[in-house]
Amino acid sequence: MSGLDWGILVLTLLGIIAYGMIRSRGSQSMDDYLLAGQSLPWYHVGLSVMATQASAITFLSAPGQGFADGMRFVQFYFGLPLAMVVLSVTFVPIFHKLRVFTAYEFLENRFDTRVRTLTAGLFLLQRGLSTGLSIYAPAIILSTILGWNIYWTNLIMGGIVLVYSVTGGTKAISYTHLQQMLVVTFAMVLAGYLTVKMLPEGVGFVDALHVAGKAGRMNLIDLKFDPSSRYNIWSGLIGGFFLQLSYFGTDQSQVGRYLTGQSIGQSRLGLLMNGLLKVPMQFLIVLVGVLVFVFYQFNPAPAFFNTRETELLKQSPYAKEYQLAEIKHQNLAGQRQRAVVDMQAAIQTNDEAGQETAATTLRETDEALKAVKTSIVDLVKKNNPAADTNDGNYVFLRFVLDYLPHGIIGLLIAVIFSASMGSIASAYSSLASTTVVDVYKRLIRPEDSDAHYLQASRWATIGWGIFCIFVAQFANRLGSMIEAVNILGSLFYGVILGVFVVAFYVKSIGGRATFWATLLAEVFVVLSWYFDLTAFLWLNAIGCLLVVLFAWIFQRVMGETDEVRN
Amino acid sequence: MPDQPNDLPPFVRSWPQLYAIVIGALVAEMILFYVLMRWLS
Repeated sequence: MSGLDWGILVLTLLGIIAYGMIRSRGSQSMDDYLLAGQSLPWYHVGLSVMATQASAITFLSAPGQGFADGMRFVQFYFGLPLAMVVLSVTFVPIFHKLRVFTAYEFLENRFDTRVRTLTAGLFLLQRGLSTGLSIYAPAIILSTILGWNIYWTNLIMGGIVLVYSVTGGTKAISYTHLQQMLVVTFAMVLAGYLTVKMLPEGVGFVDALHVAGKAGRMNLIDLKFDPSSRYNIWSGLIGGFFLQLSYFGTDQSQVGRYLTGQSIGQSRLGLLMNGLLKVPMQFLIVLVGVLVFVFYQFNPAPAFFNTRETELLKQSPYAKEYQLAEIKHQNLAGQRQRAVVDMQAAIQTNDEAGQETAATTLRETDEALKAVKTSIVDLVKKNNPAADTNDGNYVFLRFVLDYLPHGIIGLLIAVIFSASMGSIASAYSSLASTTVVDVYKRLIRPEDSDAHYLQASRWATIGWGIFCIFVAQFANRLGSMIEAVNILGSLFYGVILGVFVVAFYVKSIGGRATFWATLLAEVFVVLSWYFDLTAFLWLNAIGCLLVVLFAWIFQRVMGETDEVRN
Repeated sequence: MPDQPNDLPPFVRSWPQLYAIVIGALVAEMILFYVLMRWLS
C-alpha cells in the first residue's frame, strides 16, 4: 500500500467515525443509548439493518464465490424479502407496542423470567463468541495479504468500533452505518467498472457477461430440487427464509436496529427497504467476482491466491511438487486464454458452433484448473495444518492489490474495515443492551436511576468489546473461520427461533414447558453436532422443530400446572 | 409507538399493497435472472 492508499484509508475511516460521533452528541438517556430514542427515519433503519448484516467477510468472500462458483450464491438471499414481510406483519408491531429494549423482554411477557433469561443467555454466548470471530476473520485476511501483525489488526478493528459505540451509543452506530453503506456501495460499483475497463480492447461489459455465461458463471437460477446442493432456488426460498427470519427476528443485533425506528411504520419501511435492496446488492457484489473471473481469463492468475502460503511452500520440502503443480496451472491457463479469445471472436461473428467448441474447452480447462488447485490445497495443508485454505476469500483482495490503481486500493481496504465495523458495532450494542436490560436490570439491580443504567450500558459495551477482542486474539486455533462462525450460529439460532415460534404461534404452551424444551433441544443440537450426526446447516431447522415438539409434549404432560399467558 | 398512516410511501395505499410490491419485486428479479441466464448460456 502506498502513502496515498494509507491517506485515503485513514481519512475515510476517521470521516465516518467523526460524522457518527458529531451527529450523536448531546445528553443521553438509556433509551437514547440503546435505541437512539426510537427517533430514526426509515432509511436510517434500512441502511443500519443492511450494514449490520453485511460484514467484511461479505465483501471478501462473496466476490470469491462469484469467481469460483458463479452467480448461484445470489439465490441464498431469495428468502430474505419474504422474511422481511413476515417480520413487518408480526414481530415489529409486537415489539414496538410492548416498548421493549430487547427481543427477549417479550418472552417474559409471553412466558416467564426463566425463558427470557435462558434465551438471552444463549444469545449472549453465541453472539459474544461469534463477534470475536467476526473481528478475526477479515483481520487474518488483511494481515496475511498486507503483512500486518494479526494481533494489532484485531485490536485496531475491534478497538475503533468500541470508541464510538461507547461514546455515541446506538445513534452513533446508526449514523456511521449510513456513511459506511454509501462508501461501500460506491466503492464496489467503482471496482466493477474498473475491472471491465481493464479487459482487453474490444471486450465490453456485455461481452464479459457472455464469456462468464459460456464458462458457467452466470448460473443465476437453479430450479432443480436437490437437498445436497447448497444453492438453488428452493434452498434459497425455504432455507433462506427460515435462516433470515431467525436472524432478523431473534438476534438482538438486528432487533436493536429496527427498534430505533420512530414508529411501527418507519421500522417496517426500513425492513421492507432491506427486502427490496438486498438481492440486487448481493447480485452486484457477486457480479464483481464474476467480472474478476473474466479478467483472469485474459490475464495470468496466481495458482493459489493466498500467496503467503505459496511462498512458504516454496521454502518447504514440498517445493518440487508445488513447482510441478504451478507449471501445470500455467499450461492450463494458457489453454483457457486461447479458448476465451476464440470464443470472443465467435461471439462477435455470431458463430454458434465456434462458441460451443470454445465453451467446451473453457469448461474442461476450468475443471482441470480446479483439480490443480485441490492438489495445491493438499500441499498447503501438509506444509501448514493451521493455514487458511479457503482461497476464495483472497481472490478479490489479491486482485485489488495487484491490478487496481493506488488510491482505489486504500478505498477498498476502507470498505472492508467499514463493513467489519458496521456489524461489530451492532453486535457490541446488542450484547450491552441484553446484558443490562435482561440480566442486570431484571435480575441484579431492578430499581435504580436511568443515569445508573446508562452508565452500566457503557461499561457493558466496554466489557463485551474487550471480551470479543480477546476471543479474536485466540481465534487462530479454530481452523476455518467462516465455518466456525456458521457452526456457532447454527448451534443456537434454531433453538432461539423455536422459542419465538412457540411464543407467537402456539398460544396453548406455557413458560415451564418452553423452558425445559429449550434446554433439552439445545442439548440435542450440541450432541448432534458433537457426534457429527448431520450437516451443521440443518441444525437450525432441527433446533427450531425440537423446541416446538418438546414444548408441545411437555405441555401435555405438565397439563394445567403450567400457566399459559397469551 | 403508533403506526402513522403517513408512514406509507407515496402512491401506496396500504401495507398489504406494499408487501405485495416487495414480493412482486422478488418474483420479477427471479424471472429477470432466469432470462439473463438463458440468454448468456
